Amino acid sequence: MDVNGAPSDAEIVARVLAGDTEAFGFVIRRYEAGLLRFATRMLGSRDAAADAVAEGLVRAYRHLASCRDPERLRTWLYRIVTNRCKSHLARRSVGDVPLDEAPPLADPSDGEATLERAEQLALVQRALTGLSPDKREAFVLKHVEGLSYEEMAAITGERIPTLKMRVHRAREALLKVLEEHT
Amino acid sequence: MSTIDPRIHEALDGELPTDALPVELRPAAQTVRTAADLLAAPVPGASLESRIMAEVRRPAPSPLRRAAGWLATPHAVTLRVRPVWSLALAATAAVFTLFFARDAGPQLGEHEGIAQFVGRFPDARSVHVVGTFNDWRPGTIALEDLRHDGVWSATVVLPTGTYEYMFVVDGERWVPDHLADRLVADDFGRENSVVIVRPVHR
Repeated sequence: MDVNGAPSDAEIVARVLAGDTEAFGFVIRRYEAGLLRFATRMLGSRDAAADAVAEGLVRAYRHLASCRDPERLRTWLYRIVTNRCKSHLARRSVGDVPLDEAPPLADPSDGEATLERAEQLALVQRALTGLSPDKREAFVLKHVEGLSYEEMAAITGERIPTLKMRVHRAREALLKVLEEHT
Repeated sequence: MSTIDPRIHEALDGELPTDALPVELRPAAQTVRTAADLLAAPVPGASLESRIMAEVRRPAPSPLRRAAGWLATPHAVTLRVRPVWSLALAATAAVFTLFFARDAGPQLGEHEGIAQFVGRFPDARSVHVVGTFNDWRPGTIALEDLRHDGVWSATVVLPTGTYEYMFVVDGERWVPDHLADRLVADDFGRENSVVIVRPVHR
């Protein structure tokens, strides 16, 4: 139990494994938003991301007994969803994001600042989608999800120097694209 | 080779304070931070909770359906016999083979083979094998340390095919078999061992 009275990840895992299926709702509510954002940035499509996250969390539920360290449930879930994203990417050509899957633009009735922000997001998402999946994954985990290189290594199974190099290359590629458009 | 000043990376990695970054390099670092902030915005849309919970709540099949499924599905079979009885059984089998079943082959189906699982776990209290042949359910196939020397083994009959598996030591520690034919990575950051069960040739 944390200071706010919410059960810890380990307590939730123990409850689910003891047969309390409904306790898995805590896991979904706690991690869904972050996982969905990560998958959306990886796949460039909210619908594909929703499928990847739903598949990943159902797999996590079914294999919860094999989560060796429930205190690090978050890392374990990211690893599963990362692999689901890779499976989705493998089924389609990378970087080929159909227009109907591109990030939605804001409604024209929205304010100017909102519109400008939506356009900037669309530009950044397109630049991100142009990166290789490895670099995109490294950039999103580091800068969007705010993970440490140690956590990224646990999720991806890669060595920290490799991940640092990917983040550096991703920054350089993004800067090049973004500076061309400003 | 880096195409931007390495100090920008140091600042973005938290290894260099932003105010220690030369003024002319700050816009590039700020561009990356701004891009990250945009991408970090929540993704709008309905929650997936009801969809996921509907899947995990899906009721198990009825006992009748499960029984029918069990009868129609090939299963691994483990025989646990005391050494003294195994000797007696072996002698009986030898006599039977010599005098009554010379022309009979092994009692395995055309699409069945034998898989032997062996692992060395000197301090283990129990060892089971789980894999794609038993839906990764611990407790269904136990290995035995017959000679109390820490070498655990089980011989099972399986339908021919390629299976991924792991050992479960003391009910909680999942360990791959590094002596397996090969190892493959799974979705959960582990390495699964792979066994290929071939038909027994007559």
